[in-house]
Amino acid sequence: MTIADLWTIMPLLILACGSVLMLILGAILPGRYGTAIGVAVCAGAALWALQTPPQPMAPTLGVAFTTFARAFLVLFAVTALLSLLLAHDHAVRQGLEGEEYPATVLFGAFGMGVVASAANFLTLFLGLEALTFAFYILVAYDHNRPASGEAGLKYLLMGAVSAAFVAFGIALLYTATGTLEIGRAVAASAAGGGIALAGWGLLLAGLAFKVSLAPAHLWTPDVYQGGPTPVVAFLAAGSKGAAIALFLLILPPLGDIGPLRAPLWGLALLSMTVGNLAALLQPNVKRMLAYSSVAQMGYVTLALLAGGRGYEAAAFYAVAYGAMGLAAFGALASLEEGKPLELVDELRGLGYRRPFQGGVLAVAMFALAGIPPTVGFVGKFAIFFAALKAGEVTLAVIGILTAAASAYYYLRVVVNLYLKPADEAGTGRLPTAAEAVCLGAVTLAILALGVWPGPLFDLAEAILR
Amino acid sequence: MTTYPILTILILLPLAGCLCLAPVWNCRKSARPIALGFAAAELALAGWLLFAASGLAPAPGAPAGYFLWEDAAWIERFGIRYLLGMDGISLLLVALTAFTSVVAMLVSWRGITERTALHYFLILLMESGIMGVFLSLDLVLFYLFWEVMLIPMFFLIGIWGHGRRIYSAVKFFLYTLVGSLLMLLAIIGVYLIHGDATGTFTFALPLLVKAPIAHAAAPWLFGAFLLAFAIKFPLFPVHTWLPDAHTDAPTAGSVILAALLLKTGAYGLVRFGYPLFPEAARGFTPLLYVLAITGILYASWIAYAQEDMKRMVAYSSVGHMGFVALGIASWSPVALSGSILQMVNHGFTTAALFALVGMLDERTHTREVAAFGGLWGKVPVFSFFFLFFAMASAGLPGLNNFVGEFLILVGVFRTTPAAGAIAFLGIVLPLIYTVRLLQEVLFQTERRPLQLPDVTLREGAILAVLAVIDVYIGVHPKPLLDILKVPVALLTGVAP
Repeated sequence: MTIADLWTIMPLLILACGSVLMLILGAILPGRYGTAIGVAVCAGAALWALQTPPQPMAPTLGVAFTTFARAFLVLFAVTALLSLLLAHDHAVRQGLEGEEYPATVLFGAFGMGVVASAANFLTLFLGLEALTFAFYILVAYDHNRPASGEAGLKYLLMGAVSAAFVAFGIALLYTATGTLEIGRAVAASAAGGGIALAGWGLLLAGLAFKVSLAPAHLWTPDVYQGGPTPVVAFLAAGSKGAAIALFLLILPPLGDIGPLRAPLWGLALLSMTVGNLAALLQPNVKRMLAYSSVAQMGYVTLALLAGGRGYEAAAFYAVAYGAMGLAAFGALASLEEGKPLELVDELRGLGYRRPFQGGVLAVAMFALAGIPPTVGFVGKFAIFFAALKAGEVTLAVIGILTAAASAYYYLRVVVNLYLKPADEAGTGRLPTAAEAVCLGAVTLAILALGVWPGPLFDLAEAILR
Repeated sequence: MTTYPILTILILLPLAGCLCLAPVWNCRKSARPIALGFAAAELALAGWLLFAASGLAPAPGAPAGYFLWEDAAWIERFGIRYLLGMDGISLLLVALTAFTSVVAMLVSWRGITERTALHYFLILLMESGIMGVFLSLDLVLFYLFWEVMLIPMFFLIGIWGHGRRIYSAVKFFLYTLVGSLLMLLAIIGVYLIHGDATGTFTFALPLLVKAPIAHAAAPWLFGAFLLAFAIKFPLFPVHTWLPDAHTDAPTAGSVILAALLLKTGAYGLVRFGYPLFPEAARGFTPLLYVLAITGILYASWIAYAQEDMKRMVAYSSVGHMGFVALGIASWSPVALSGSILQMVNHGFTTAALFALVGMLDERTHTREVAAFGGLWGKVPVFSFFFLFFAMASAGLPGLNNFVGEFLILVGVFRTTPAAGAIAFLGIVLPLIYTVRLLQEVLFQTERRPLQLPDVTLREGAILAVLAVIDVYIGVHPKPLLDILKVPVALLTGVAP
């Protein structure tokens, strides 16, 4: 390891050291600085990643700090920053102050950054586990609610199994190709025979758990329902983005995805149909959004399957879903008073009582349903464009029909927000300044990228070149 | 004067109105005049275009027939452009939109007492969306406006509606969304197939129509377009959202729905469906005839049985739009001009009918035919207008609907005499339910003692203007037909 290497990976170091330092600081100076420091660290990492020129490789570290890695690192740092803004007051309200929370968020963002900049399968695995590990803790963080601990345990058990799959898959790919370097191993795996194929199978199975693609999605509703809502916002926006980045690292070097088409096709089909159908009648709003995320990842799988322009669409959708997830769960988090919002029904009339959060939630719902002029529409357009271009007509038609069905449950939220009278008692807090900044920023992003998505597409094209 | 981006202004002016409503969000008194002011300014602009259009030179770079034209890059990665154009067809519909928005605001002047600013905000938003639909020539831009229209209407029905308003609002939204999502796939399909065939990848309509799609998938693509448009139209058997949406919508919602939203379906078929897939469309013509005629006869039959006046007017809309579909199916210059004129006519007449029923509803809180009777003696001015517009809707010669229906039937007789002969029944049947409605509501004896003041000055003014327009188009349709002459000739491939 040289000094040059350290400079190359500085944004990652900022996140990791920030996380560790915050824990130490918490022991010396307990107080409420955690969020402020966390926000500063995230902003620092993002700015550093923006200003450094792309470095091809830090060879001894298994990290390649390419344009791709830099772009995704910025996305993850910003996501972490926004979810810290969301979480601060929420944690105070739930009696969960402390430095552990922002420290763990930073560690999670570090894990995501490692995934996006990995050049070798071991680094990739470490990054993936680092980020999942952070989420095990974050999901179980609300120690006042047993549901939170239960969700954490479920996530841990499922996650451990999927980690085993991923590790075994990587081992088999190594056996077949003799290298851990992602680009070379993936390229060589095409001629790697049965062992390489088995490795890919296990890898896909493990990753399907992480991305929560049906039929490996069963943990998702439980974790989304049980976890603290700001954590779920980060989980939805950040970890899904990291998983998309991971797919974008390992799939394009294959060129033709060949035998992987069949499993990906099945995963996409199942996720789109199962996710959307299960969400249709789900009365719990967070469970409903969990199933919706399964469906959304199904659309991303459709894009990955299409290849070419599809990779671009998937990268675009990582940003789109990040903004939509943060907006949806963020609005819910900022409405929560004492206990978490459970039922869609509890949102009755909130569009008028709490116009800001209600409006954000409504915009997020229309975006998730793919109604223009939102980023959700442009993202879906790009995905279906890529799918048709690659000739995946059947899957595209099924996908668009399930998207039409999905509008029903997204509308259910809007109906409750605006078309039903509010309760006498009435719930819903006013947003704090930090929450308002976060929600305002993501809503603006949803609308602005919906009207003017050109630059983001250009960026997606550039980082995948 | 073409240096000003007039088309963009037409789309953005209502949006500017939306923004201006924000400071007076909780002040009913000032929200209404502000919104009306913007709608009136839009109407003035559209009206000016209507008179000035014939004097405008063809826009530079525009295809024949277009006198206003705006073109800018939008999402270059996908070849999507911000492409707006106005020809005679767009012009008439833009004028109708601007006019109807003012009417919609005026008819709900008193009736809306809660969340007034939001109500006018949504009407302006809707106006902007509909303007976009009638002006965009890029398929994706068109799709964007096409979907944007849905959202305000969903809220209008859902918030201020009556009865099963939520059910109707959701049904309306989902019904239209299913059709339009499939159309989105078809739009992408058109882009890819056209690009593969010609090497030009574009969503721009003027370029796409130069080399019509001749691919095995063309019928499927046209089918997807047709489904989306047929739902909006609405054609039998995908019309079932309409009676619910109309019945439960507030008066302004019904007026806009009937006068404008239904027109977008017909417009889409004329502007995009037929020109993009001339071959496939020819194949679908018998189907379109059958659906149109079934719709005309079926809707008249069902309308006769309705007890709720709003529902009756809603079914009569299905019938009238069936005539529009008939004219499009025949695709001859006379019938097509008739169809487009009929779109405008139906907009004026049905808007008036919904406004009238809305006035009754506002006063008595019922719309049941059986509740009324003997209005002629009690509220003469109201009754006069009711009789007038009902007869216009039934196609009385000398009033506007007659002109449209006549032209459509003449055109259809020439191309497909059998269809014309059956459709002729469609002119007779509306008379039956209209006469029944008039006889029960206006004449007879009073059935329930209802407090029923006559029309106010505001209401009278709206109705009088609409009546003058109806008579004008009825006796002197030539100026409008002149505006339509060139674009229709270009569409049907006959020398203008």
